[in-house]
Amino acid sequence: MSFKNFLEQSVSIAPLVSLRIIFGAVMLLSTLRYMYMGWVDSQLVDPMLHFSYYGFDWVEAVSREWMYFIFWTMALSSFMIIIGAWYRLASIIFFLCFTYVELVDITYYLNHYYFVSIISFLMILVPANSYLSLDSVRKVGIQKNRVSRWCILIFKIMLGIVYVYAGLAKINFDWLVNAMPLAIWLPSKSHIPIIGELFNYKLTAYVFSWAGMLFDTFIILGLLFKKTRWASYALVIAFHVMTGILFRIGIFPVVMIFMVLIFFSENFHENIITRISNLVGYEKWTTGEENLRHIPSVKNKLIIPLLTVFLLFQLVFPWRYLLYPGNLFWTEEGYRFSWRVMLMEKAGAATFYVKDGEDGREGSVINHQFLNAHQEKQMAMQPDLILQYAHWLKHHYKEKGMSDPKVRVEAWVTLNSRPARLLIDPDVNLTEIEDSWDPKPWILPYPYSN
Amino acid sequence: MAKNNITYLTKHYYFAALFIVLVTFTSCDDDDPENNIPSSDFDRVTMLQRAAESLIIPNFEELQASVNTLSSAATDFSANLNEVELDNLRDAWTESVIDHQHCSAFGFGPADLLLGEYATVLGAYPIDEEQVEANIINPDFILANTFDKDVRGFYTVEYLIFGSGLTDSEIISGFDQERVDYLLLIIAELKESFDGIVNEWKTEYIEQFTTNNSISKGSPMQIFYNGFVKDYENIKNFKLELPAGLSAGESPDPSLVEAFYSGISAQLIAENWESSKNIYFGRTRNGEEIIGFDEYVASAEGGPTVVTETQTAIAVIDDDVSSLPSDPLSANITDQAVADLANSLQDNTANFKANILSLLGLEVSFNSGDGD
Repeated sequence: MSFKNFLEQSVSIAPLVSLRIIFGAVMLLSTLRYMYMGWVDSQLVDPMLHFSYYGFDWVEAVSREWMYFIFWTMALSSFMIIIGAWYRLASIIFFLCFTYVELVDITYYLNHYYFVSIISFLMILVPANSYLSLDSVRKVGIQKNRVSRWCILIFKIMLGIVYVYAGLAKINFDWLVNAMPLAIWLPSKSHIPIIGELFNYKLTAYVFSWAGMLFDTFIILGLLFKKTRWASYALVIAFHVMTGILFRIGIFPVVMIFMVLIFFSENFHENIITRISNLVGYEKWTTGEENLRHIPSVKNKLIIPLLTVFLLFQLVFPWRYLLYPGNLFWTEEGYRFSWRVMLMEKAGAATFYVKDGEDGREGSVINHQFLNAHQEKQMAMQPDLILQYAHWLKHHYKEKGMSDPKVRVEAWVTLNSRPARLLIDPDVNLTEIEDSWDPKPWILPYPYSN
Repeated sequence: MAKNNITYLTKHYYFAALFIVLVTFTSCDDDDPENNIPSSDFDRVTMLQRAAESLIIPNFEELQASVNTLSSAATDFSANLNEVELDNLRDAWTESVIDHQHCSAFGFGPADLLLGEYATVLGAYPIDEEQVEANIINPDFILANTFDKDVRGFYTVEYLIFGSGLTDSEIISGFDQERVDYLLLIIAELKESFDGIVNEWKTEYIEQFTTNNSISKGSPMQIFYNGFVKDYENIKNFKLELPAGLSAGESPDPSLVEAFYSGISAQLIAENWESSKNIYFGRTRNGEEIIGFDEYVASAEGGPTVVTETQTAIAVIDDDVSSLPSDPLSANITDQAVADLANSLQDNTANFKANILSLLGLEVSFNSGDGD
């Protein structure tokens, strides 16, 4: 069998339908939670300025009313994904809204937001509404109980990349040999009932570090085989519940616990689908199993090449850090979009000095006049954000009448409990530097040996 | 669509338990005996208890007492508008703003008032002279109905009783009934606020503050530390750099100092710095040792180095505080010693804002979303 035939071989649609419902439901909850927590205002509407993703500085925050409109649209589209109503349109809208909100301000960057963007993009490409959906009732012709194998495989591969890359990222000196940053994170959680007392022991940090690395790297392997699947899934639950209790990572554990179900057998998913189907009385509208045909080969010949390019990108892009000199955690050049999750404890205090180019008077900036606490914290340790802020300050003071403002920064950064040192050359006028993919020579070398 | 195989779940329940146990034990590849001693058994609850009982509440009680003295001095002054009573009133005011320096870091809980943390409301400066004068002659003015912070509090009292460029007799003769009423109104708000803060601390809040061992967002330890750092940064940003023209785009403006009319700015800076050190080192105002952040930090991984570096930085600040030009600071605001102190405070900011937050795992802000 050729590879192409393998990809297009028909398999049960059940896992994909489960995934659609689960993904839609978690996204609906997550969207409502974001609004409920007041983050639309505090993170997106209130800030005076937003930090943009490189190449996406044209994405701007809309007004409060429009922002809420976008969130309610997101909530509605995720509901439509759950019930499979105008599915293709709903998934496109969800992807666009979610990715837009994500792009508004990079200081809120989270690996799991990126993950959701990716999954919602992939959801657009698959016919997840062909069964147990309003669409398949509306237009009986589209009802199918089989799909091409690639429609399910693509999600498994993507999850595989996430876990394995997160695991590989943990194979570093600080994580394995120093048990960092868990050795400083765990003692701060010693108030947690029952297990909290354990966190005062450094041994616990070692156990968690090594277990975390082994879990991430090998869990997909365990999920792939029938014999180890349930046990591996128990580990998935244990791992994510534990990290969910320990760290403030929101809905991420829930997303992963449910998404990973895609690795389960067709029978498992068919069973779930049948139950839901009986519950909602879907069978009444179906044309009967014998009438359901296999999905023919992919209509759009571009999809397989597109996904190949997509996967190659996913496989290669996280390794770009190898092209940069210096310590990855220190410079963060090539750090994002690489599934480096909960990997380091980094914090900074950045003081900016703005000098009037004409009279040479220099003064410091009170950051919280312009930034919220979260933005300031994130900015203070990430060189590209420091640069963005310096440029914003230049424009701000220029507008206030200062001629040719020059901006420099004293950014003290601590990494994994080592005393803070200067991250950026404090003599460099940042307004003369433009961000790019090139290495940033104005980042000072990491001052510690490892 | 298919047969029921959900019972799988129960069937494989024991696997789950087994594997958790396995993972926990197979990865114990480190048998260094040091790991078997708790590396960090710092008692956060005791630290908070001692801070509340010996530092925060006593400091607020002192402030409450001096504000009550201020209040009676104002009543006496209103009855006898003369220089003796004015001097008494000024002494009482000076006492209360000194006590205020030892409380301004504790703007959370009961001290987080309707308009914001008490120090940003009742300790606001500079005040708006014009608006104060307008309020005085406005018969319909109701203090409780205005959100303006710069028409109330300690430094509005200061403006009224020290005046701006007036002789004592001019000040006294300026006190018509409306002016007296405004003074009493502002002081009544001060008295009511601190009576309330002390009462709430002692009756309800102490329980809440001293029983929560967590350090996540909104926990007592987190707000205690953040209040401390914010107060520390205010010394540099607002008491020194802003009036000295060391803020970006600003020129020196002596009238922006704290306590401009009384001219005790440098003295208040020294008191505020003393308060910062008391919190950090764990000392009461009388010098009694309690538990400080230095001990807490020392208990954390990598903490001792940070404690040493912080101590060195604090010694430099101590020197620079004692080298501040004498009061009134506003007359010497462009003195190099002011910039020097701002710089030494800046040099220590990384310890307080980056190193310690990081080592203790404290979160910087409330409501900042998820992490990953």
